[in-house]
Amino acid sequence: MPEVEANGLRFHVQVLHGTETDGAPRPPVVMLHGLVIDNLSSWYYTLAHPLALVADVHLYDLRGHGRSEMPATGYTVADNVDDLVALLDHWGVTEPAHLFGNSFGGVVALALAHRHPERVASLFLIEAHFAVEGWGEHMAGSLALAAFGLDEDAVQDWLSEHADRKLSRVAKRSERFLTKTSLIDDLQAEEPITWLAEVAVPTYAMYGSDSDILDRARELEAKVPRCTLEVVEGSSHSLLTEQSALVRERALAWIDLQAR
Amino acid sequence: MTDVDTTAPDAASVLAELERILTEVIGDDLLLDEPLSMATSFDEDLQLESIEFVALAEKLLDTYGERVDFVTWMAGMELDEIIALTVGQVVDFVVASLSGPAPAAGSPAEG
Repeated sequence: MPEVEANGLRFHVQVLHGTETDGAPRPPVVMLHGLVIDNLSSWYYTLAHPLALVADVHLYDLRGHGRSEMPATGYTVADNVDDLVALLDHWGVTEPAHLFGNSFGGVVALALAHRHPERVASLFLIEAHFAVEGWGEHMAGSLALAAFGLDEDAVQDWLSEHADRKLSRVAKRSERFLTKTSLIDDLQAEEPITWLAEVAVPTYAMYGSDSDILDRARELEAKVPRCTLEVVEGSSHSLLTEQSALVRERALAWIDLQAR
Repeated sequence: MTDVDTTAPDAASVLAELERILTEVIGDDLLLDEPLSMATSFDEDLQLESIEFVALAEKLLDTYGERVDFVTWMAGMELDEIIALTVGQVVDFVVASLSGPAPAAGSPAEG
């Protein structure tokens, strides 16, 4: 298991390189996943390998997720940006990297581009979930509901009896994350983002037309100066897995375009 | 890390190695109502979490080395194909990779 110590925590990481080298430069790519039930595997199963044929792809489980350490506290966007900077340093990625962010990973990517623009070449955002007015209630509300449901003894029993092993393990880990860490408190305390206009890097944003956070799409398009928005008809917030072939096509074209 | 052997392993030995790795990744929770076979699927039969499949792939590469080009293989698959992968598909891929032509003359020797 590739594990890395960074920012005082143990992270599960995967770095993928294709074996075919035609001498072309391989830009660094870092992929950031979504919250709680998500981990690096959603990238590993979709974009990571196709991108690794043309780029050096860095994946990691965000703190608290997947096979990375789950500290009791420290789940603000700023904490996650600190982790990302520490991992970039660990990997020796000093040239600007292309950041891919899915859902919550999108806000981490945006925040790095704002705080450390010298480390970011471009942003490729899928259903980016960032704080607008009332974000705390929206985000933590849906998470808190899941926590409530998972807290019920009856649900827990049902899960262990009937649900398959996979679901039950994911459920147990998610329950621990939601009830034993400061995740929800930290997210509720996030201030709405006021600096989108200062994000200077080229940005491609994809959202599903049926997404529950389509207002973020409009916000990005209106405020991030170099943002190109694509709304995919008939898709939901799960755009990455629902439309993995389309997203892959866009991502490869995006990396190719940035190299020109 | 196992030393890379000069003789290519056969399907039976790769299958046995994969079973050992699965036990290592999942531990006692490994669901095996019947012996692991080439037809066993990772998702439906073994209920393997996707993050556990990542760990399994990593350990396979540790064992068999860079001639197993997992990146190119995975890059050619759609999401539903990856989810539906069977033990046999992975075993066949590893065996085919190791029994293919040796690295071209002039490339650095392995090991």
